[in-house]
Amino acid sequence: MTLVDPRKTFGATVSDCALERPEIVVLSTDSGKSSGFGAFAEEAPDRYIEVGIAEQAATAIAAGLATTGAIPVLCSIAPFVTSRNFEFFRNDIGYMKQNVKIVGRNGGFTYSELGSTHHSLEDYALAGSIPNVVVLAPGDAGELRAACRAMLDYEGPVYMRIGSGPIPDFRDNREFVIGRGYYVTRGADLTVVTTGYTSILVREAVAAARAGGLDVELVCVPTVVPIDAGIILESANRTGLVLTVEEHYEFGGLGSRVADVLSASGGARLSKVAVPQRNQPSSTYDDLLRRNGLDVPGIARAMMNVVQSR
Amino acid sequence: MSPISCDSSRDLALRARRNVLRMLEATPAGHVGGAMSCIDALAVLYASVLTIDPSRPGDPRRDRFLLSAGHKAMAQYAILAECGFFDKSLLDTYGKEDTALGGHPDMYKLPGIEGNTGALGHGLALGVGMGMGLRQQNCDARVFVILGDGELAEGSNWEAAAIAAHYRLGSLTALVDVNGMQISGPTAAVMSMESIPEKFAAFGWRVVEVDGHDHEALHDVLTLPSSEPRPTAIIMRTVKGAGIPTIASRVESHYWKPTPEELDDAIRSLGLDDRTAHDSR
Repeated sequence: MTLVDPRKTFGATVSDCALERPEIVVLSTDSGKSSGFGAFAEEAPDRYIEVGIAEQAATAIAAGLATTGAIPVLCSIAPFVTSRNFEFFRNDIGYMKQNVKIVGRNGGFTYSELGSTHHSLEDYALAGSIPNVVVLAPGDAGELRAACRAMLDYEGPVYMRIGSGPIPDFRDNREFVIGRGYYVTRGADLTVVTTGYTSILVREAVAAARAGGLDVELVCVPTVVPIDAGIILESANRTGLVLTVEEHYEFGGLGSRVADVLSASGGARLSKVAVPQRNQPSSTYDDLLRRNGLDVPGIARAMMNVVQSR
Repeated sequence: MSPISCDSSRDLALRARRNVLRMLEATPAGHVGGAMSCIDALAVLYASVLTIDPSRPGDPRRDRFLLSAGHKAMAQYAILAECGFFDKSLLDTYGKEDTALGGHPDMYKLPGIEGNTGALGHGLALGVGMGMGLRQQNCDARVFVILGDGELAEGSNWEAAAIAAHYRLGSLTALVDVNGMQISGPTAAVMSMESIPEKFAAFGWRVVEVDGHDHEALHDVLTLPSSEPRPTAIIMRTVKGAGIPTIASRVESHYWKPTPEELDDAIRSLGLDDRTAHDSR
């Protein structure tokens, strides 16, 4: 299985789209090359706007550009385009309903050793709290490429989180419909719902659990907002047990969205694997996942615990 | 498109000031002080500078105007109504239930509003984006942004100022309404931003200082040849509450809640001596 860099995959996909569609404009806050736009900056310098380390202004500038018909893509380190610029995101893009794509890269723990200032564990909550904003979290490379195209085709504000560590490229042409989840495996014992990079780890944990006789149903929801309530309820009503897994604080992310869906239906019991609401140490990426139960053995343990507590 | 056919800008400003009082009759209070300090500049812009057509408010070639200090929305509503962007009777809904004329402008509720401003420190960067977008389309439309002097304490303005100068955005004009007062008191006491002209000049802007109530001077600086490859900052020295003697130059005018007597005085001071004249204006 090929592994690829999600940032390069993202940059290359958006650049390809931009070469076909002249309304796409890329904004950089001293970070365009790291977002995979090095080649695009050379090929289309008039549509590659470097504004320096100024994420607040960059966000409003993106909105201003969008009012003239452009489709601006602003990609930088996740906290700086979600929390640093939050009011600009909220007012100029959300409230003003502008066709801007904000992309937080190195999301979750992937800037692991750089510490809490660079971890992004609240971006689903922040972006998802803004009316009119769609929140995407693709996992593998095929999903990422499809998500980029869906994001650019969608008319309206979108936030997308991507990571930085290598992701598998299954070389499939995945369909990506904003707002829709899909089944990876079907089963009767337990529903596992996941999103983003974590879905790759969850697939592995689920495969192991199934090999061990646990009939797990795995649902991937690469759109966190709006969440696919239909598929979650359909599965939860069948299994009666739901476990969400995400690389995000336990508050305000996928687990909270699924809880909202389930509480409205009076349905299944919910457990979450997520990051506790406290600052996390500087460490390696794998260590931070492990400490928070987000590695493959941790996810497998969580599944067993949920089923045994039935 | 051609500039809006209005009466002289002075007449437009007077009628707009009366419209502000009309809104104050609909609701008991408003951000009158700042509205009155920038209303002359708005009148000059709409009467003789902006290329804009009220019957085609979405024309892609139009000049753009943003009221970054969005709490001064009464001034913008008053001018837009007078220029025919919407029916003047809407002014009577100001501050009322489900109004299109909220305390801050909303582009989806009224024609002629280019951005949902009001949170301070957003309008200049929005204007930079608009200017960049228009330039990419080879459209020579201009972008004008009114900022408050107190608003300049928001650091995002200076991000935008640096970027506009770096990109030599000559189509962008910022008008800074320097009335010298903000909610808590004189701007010099709350957070001094002087020297404002030197700050913009240091950021690489062309800077012009002008009396913000002198229509001829405003017209001259707003129609300076625009081949200049730098953005322009027009530093307007103004009087908070200008045109209403009871509140002029008073910090209390920022959010004015007039007594009935004060409102009557203001109406008289704008030449509206009786209700008949007031209703028929």
